[in-house]
Amino acid sequence: MFTLFDHAGFTRVKSAVVPGFRFRKASTQDSAEAFGVKAVMMTAQKP
Amino acid sequence: MTDLAARDAAEPTPLEGVIKGEVLRMYQEVADRPDQEFHFFHGREAAEMFGYERDWLDRAPGGAVASFAGVGNPHLRSRLQAGETVLDLGSGAGLDSIIAGWQVGPAGRVLGVDLNPHMCAKAEAHAALAGGVMECRSGAMEDVPLPDASVDVVISNGVINLSFRKRRVIGELYRVLKPGGRVSIADIVSAKQLSHSIVNDPKLWAS
Repeated sequence: MFTLFDHAGFTRVKSAVVPGFRFRKASTQDSAEAFGVKAVMMTAQKP
Repeated sequence: MTDLAARDAAEPTPLEGVIKGEVLRMYQEVADRPDQEFHFFHGREAAEMFGYERDWLDRAPGGAVASFAGVGNPHLRSRLQAGETVLDLGSGAGLDSIIAGWQVGPAGRVLGVDLNPHMCAKAEAHAALAGGVMECRSGAMEDVPLPDASVDVVISNGVINLSFRKRRVIGELYRVLKPGGRVSIADIVSAKQLSHSIVNDPKLWAS
């Protein structure tokens, strides 16, 4: 998604992982971790 | 970081309709029966986890807080100013719109967009209970029902990952923002290619 913001023309594209995000069910969380699924914060600006 | 966004379809696919239906069903259930347990955290528990101020959660209508289904806190970096026009993409039950409304004040404007017209009505009612005004338009994030260069800031929380056509969604954000406009979103990304069985499972898209 970071790349898409960049390609759309946005500048100052920044991201950071959302601390503390997790799924309620352990099985879902385990699968998410296996695929590198995470919640991120993203900011960007239109020039 | 790579994710499904880089591989989105240019046009709607038959599966997209099925998945949209499942997503609508899931979030309608969160709104209608927030006392249930879902495989994601929701409500006040989730909002506190992501650093929403307790004062906000105490002041907002209980229904808006209970139905919160975000994945982060877009307000931490939105830097909203009085008088700004804000788009809340995928406004759901309205908690983020209500908080944005408090920040932009009476001179500002909060516009919600949600695929589900019932959620739009609910969000507007919650905003009114909170003493603010929010205008919610039912529509798709791939075709945002707003004019070009009409908003100062876009906020969104756990919504864009639900689109098959993320490239188009991001393009829409660019289109509706004024020059110098800002985006502050929280969302889910994947660092690895997901298998076809996962990508084609409507229930997992609604996760």
